[in-house]
This record gives sequence, structure tokens and C-alpha cells, in this order.
Amino acid sequence: MGGPARLAIDSANASKHEHMALGVDNLLKQLERRYSRYDPTSLVSLINARAGSGEATELDTEAETLFDLAGQLWEASDGLFDITSGVLRRAWDFRMGSIADPERIEALLPLVGWQHVERLGNTIRLPVAGMEIDLGGLVKEYAADAALQFLRDCNIESAMIELAGDVATLGRQASGQPWQIAIQAPDGGPPIRAVSLVDAAVATSGDYARRITHNGHTYGHFLDPMTGWPVSGPSSVTVIDQHCLTAGAVATIACLKAGLADHWLNASGLPWLMIDAQGKASGPILEG
Amino acid sequence: MNRLPPPSPLLRSLGRTLAVLPTYQAIPAWSDAPPAFTEVGLRYSRYSEDSIAQDKVIFGDRDRYDIDVTQLWIEAPVGSAWSVALDVQNDYQTGASPWFVGINQEGQPGVIMSGASIQDNRVEVGVTTRYFWADGNAGFNVTHSDEDDYEAIAMALDASWNTSSDARTWTVAVSSSRDTVNPTHGVIPVFIDEEKLDTQSGYFGVSQILSRTAVMRFGLNYTYSEGYLSDPYKFNDARPGTHERIALSAGIRQFLINADASLQADYRYYADSWGSDSHTLELAWAQNLSASLLTPYIRYYTQRQADFYNVVADRAARFYADDYRLSSYGAITLGARWSVAIGDWTLELEAERYQSDADWGLYDGEAAPALVDFWRAAIAATWRFD
Repeated sequence: MGGPARLAIDSANASKHEHMALGVDNLLKQLERRYSRYDPTSLVSLINARAGSGEATELDTEAETLFDLAGQLWEASDGLFDITSGVLRRAWDFRMGSIADPERIEALLPLVGWQHVERLGNTIRLPVAGMEIDLGGLVKEYAADAALQFLRDCNIESAMIELAGDVATLGRQASGQPWQIAIQAPDGGPPIRAVSLVDAAVATSGDYARRITHNGHTYGHFLDPMTGWPVSGPSSVTVIDQHCLTAGAVATIACLKAGLADHWLNASGLPWLMIDAQGKASGPILEG
Repeated sequence: MNRLPPPSPLLRSLGRTLAVLPTYQAIPAWSDAPPAFTEVGLRYSRYSEDSIAQDKVIFGDRDRYDIDVTQLWIEAPVGSAWSVALDVQNDYQTGASPWFVGINQEGQPGVIMSGASIQDNRVEVGVTTRYFWADGNAGFNVTHSDEDDYEAIAMALDASWNTSSDARTWTVAVSSSRDTVNPTHGVIPVFIDEEKLDTQSGYFGVSQILSRTAVMRFGLNYTYSEGYLSDPYKFNDARPGTHERIALSAGIRQFLINADASLQADYRYYADSWGSDSHTLELAWAQNLSASLLTPYIRYYTQRQADFYNVVADRAARFYADDYRLSSYGAITLGARWSVAIGDWTLELEAERYQSDADWGLYDGEAAPALVDFWRAAIAATWRFD
């Protein structure tokens, strides 16, 4: 999944723990094999390799649902959340810290746009060579929810999983207390706030770790699919919902909405916390 | 602890997309807890019977009953494990009702209606106190009802338990009431002074969550009444001194993800010691609209007449009655409910049309000329606050 994983299971049976942990680990690996664009044998890599060839790829229910969700999020975000925008990364290299060449961005823009993706029945097809699907963000959060469902199926009533900063919880801790989760500050300072979760998840989206500063401008990691340039969004957004996948989607779209992030978050109805580019924190989680 | 609010339309629609996957179908676990807020509600409804047809009436006012019902209720949490509720209802009733059935000049049965229009006001007050624990709750209710010619006092106890990871709920309830009839000596002659009747009732039910989208329930009810059970305002009405009733009910609610609507079906079978039995089938479709819920429904009812019912009562028999409510007939109701949430308020509107006919029933019998058709409409507003 590309990030640290932490699993806590509260049950009286210690050997059951080990079994469960292995099971969760296995599940996460399976999801990675199926959806990682770095793995040449994955479903996503197959779809991307067939771009422009005319060949459609059949999807199972899980993949179909993830793509359905991606489409709904694309609509709900007015096109800002777009899983085909990953190709723009070729113009930006955040690790190198260099700013993009506008001509390169112009050349990549025709390959971006969920509206171009062809969905027919349970198949998917990318009509133009060079187009790419990236499910990375959604699958990471789906994995947390799926891991908890696996534990629920094994009659576990108390567990917590953390995957790359997102946390999902099942029931309460064995002591009867809710799971206490600390929301980290983007700059690595002391935690901003602790939240109590029971059967809920908290997801954080933000690009504080991956920004480029050039000529006094800071360029964030979230790219606008329409222009190819970064949006000037908040440093980080944290959202709580019943499931990690929906919390994460709302948080990511908030980052893409930039100046309109707080409107979007309020309309979602979910508890949220935002740290803006200047480091100022706001949101109902702070007040609650 | 953060309590998540009801989902916004966007989250509801994302939830619908995801509900295909088992991961997003987990049955939510509730623990029984008192309401988190106080609720105050006001409801007004009007029930209006069609006038009796000219060819069905022999004598009297053709205008039948109109009833205006106003209800006020308050329910509030008390501490962390209790709640208390107060219900007040006022019924204002006007109109004429069938006094007895005779034979008209064409040899057909016809109704002699009660003389002038009656006007009657009934007030009912009930108090319920409820206790909650982790797996269930129990309530105790006392209700008193008062009008010029009738008084009733009733007590009820109910309890429910959640089991099986909260997917199943068992409910039991018992109640007892004492009614006192003091018929008004007015336009219609009445032949009793004061009479009493006692009723005992028990209910047992189970509700089972079948999946994230479906719930099923079964119920069984037994009621026993003893005392004066006849209608003092009917000339030809002499009913047995005891009445036993059982009712079996079943219902299912299935939420259909793609339609964003729930299909609801309910069936009830009733049988009693007076020889009557009945079937009720109701189908409803609760459709989520962008900001409200619209539920059209249809109900079919059919009953078999009581043993001692005749279209023109047989006064020579030990028990006799010509009350249309004891005859064989079928009835169809078409209605709709609409509710919308506006901030802390909920507004509900409801309207239904009921028509009955002896030919619509599954059972043969002597058709009562006084079978009734009516309109009913209601409006309610509920306010919830911390």
C-alpha cells in the first residue's frame, strides 16, 4: 500500500491474534497485487497497458464498485477528483523538487479526463494510448475497511487498523473505552486533537509531505485535472465517517477544492479538521 | 464521543454504490439507549365518512361521522438510562350513526340513522416511563380516556431485548384496562345506566434484521374482554359478555439500493370467539426523494361476519347485532404519506381514501347497507432538540 501498517486486535486469545494478523496481512497483499500500478501483473496495469488498443477489460464486482465510486466522486467534485489524472505526474517530479515544464503539461492534458473512460456493462476501456488509471488512493482506504470486515467475519469485536495515516476501528477497545486516535500535525509537531472512535474511521488527506517550493511559491501535490497545475489547497484535511473509504474520499476532494474546502466539508455533514497552508487549524473536530 | 449525524444526500448515494460489497454491508450495532434528544410533536387529523347513500337510508340524517383528532406528545430522556413520555389526544366527533337496520318499502334493508347529529369530545392522556439497559428496554404506561358517556383507564407493560449481535429483537407486552360506559340519554333511547368492561391483552413479537437492507418481524397478540360489550346506541344489539381475539402479524421491509426506496409488506390474520376472522394485507413503497420521503400504500382488508350478525337483526336469538362493523365485507384503502426534515423539525402529511363493499370480501354474508367509505388526512410537525 506504500505506507506503514499497524493493527491492533483486542481479544482474549493471543494465538488467535497472530492468525488474524496474518490474515489481514494476506488480504492487504492481495489488494496490492490486484490494484497496484507498480505491479505489472495487476488488474490496473492490465487496463493501462491496453489503453488505446481497443481492448476492454472485464471487471469483477469489487473492481466495478471501486470504479463506480470513482465516477461518482468525479461528478460530486465537479471533475476535480479524477483517477485518470495520474499521468500528469510525469510532468511533475515531487521527489526531485523541480517545477514542471508548461509544454509537458499541455502535452499530457489530452490523456486526462474520466469522461473519456469507457464503461460498458462490467468492462472498462481507455480509448487513448498513454491514458492511465490510478486507484491507489481509493484502494488504500478500501483496504482498511476490508481488513475490518475480515476481522468481523472472524467474530472479532474489537480492532483498530492504521494504514498510512488513516485509521479504521471495529467496536471499542477490550476495556470498553472507545479507541483514542490522535490527529497528527502536518509539520510533525504534537498531535492537534485526539478523537474517540467506536465503529468509525478517520482519514487524512494532504500534501504537506510532498510540496515543491520554487521562487517563493509553494506547489502542492494535488493537481487540477483540467489545468495540470497544482491547486493551492490546505495543508491537510481530516474527516471522520463510518468507513475509511468515504472519509478519505471526502478529505481528498476537500484538498482539491482548495479555497472552497470548508464549504465542501460542511456540506458533507461529517466531522472535519483542516490545517490551511499557513498552518491554521479549523473545523468541528476542534470544537467538539 | 463523536456521534455521526444522519448522512448527507452525497454520502447516502456513495453508500448505495458501496453497499454491493460485503465490506459495506455490516449490520450496525446499536446499544439500547434513551433518545439523545427531546421530541415534541403535534398532529392534527380529520376523518370524514361519506354520507350514507339515499337508497340505503330509511330515515334520519344522511351525514355520518366526522372526527377531528388533535394529538400532542413530548418524549424526553431522563438521566442516562430513562425516558419519559406524555401523550395527550383530543377527539371531537360529530355526526349521525346507524341506529338499527330495517326493511324499506321495496323490501330491501335500509338504515335508520340516529336522530340529530351528536357532538362528543374525548380526551385521552397517557404517561409512559421507559428504562434502557445495554441489550434492551422496558416501559410502563398508564392511559386515561374520558368523554361524556365513556371512561377508560388502562395500564401496560412492555419489554424488548436485542440478541444475536443485535440482529434480533424480542418484544413482550401485557396490558389491562377497565372501561365504564354511561350512555347519554338523548335523542336515541338507551336501555342501560352504567356498565363496565374489562380487557386483558398480551403480545409477543420478534424482529430480525436479515441483512443491511432487510428487516422482518412476526407478532402474536391475544386479547380477552369481559363485561358489557354491546353497543348501547344501537337498538338491535346484544352481544356476548366475553370476547376473545387473536391476531398474527408478519411484515418485511426490503431496501432496494438502485431505487433508493424500501418495499414494505405487512400481513395480519385475526380471529375471534364471535365467529369473525379477517385478513389484512398492506403494501407500501417508501421512496427517498432528494430531501423527503414519499410513501404511497395500498391496503386490502376482508372480514367474515360475526355468528350473531344479520343484516336485519334477529331479536329472537340470544345474541344479535346489525352493526355493519360485524358484517362480511372487503375494503380497499389507498393512501400516501410524505415527510420532510427541515433542520430540527420534521413535517408529515398523510391522506387516504377507504372504500368498503360486501362484494369485495372473500367471505359470503349478508351485505350491510351501512358500510362506510371515508377520507382521512393528517398533518404533523415534530421538533427535536437537545
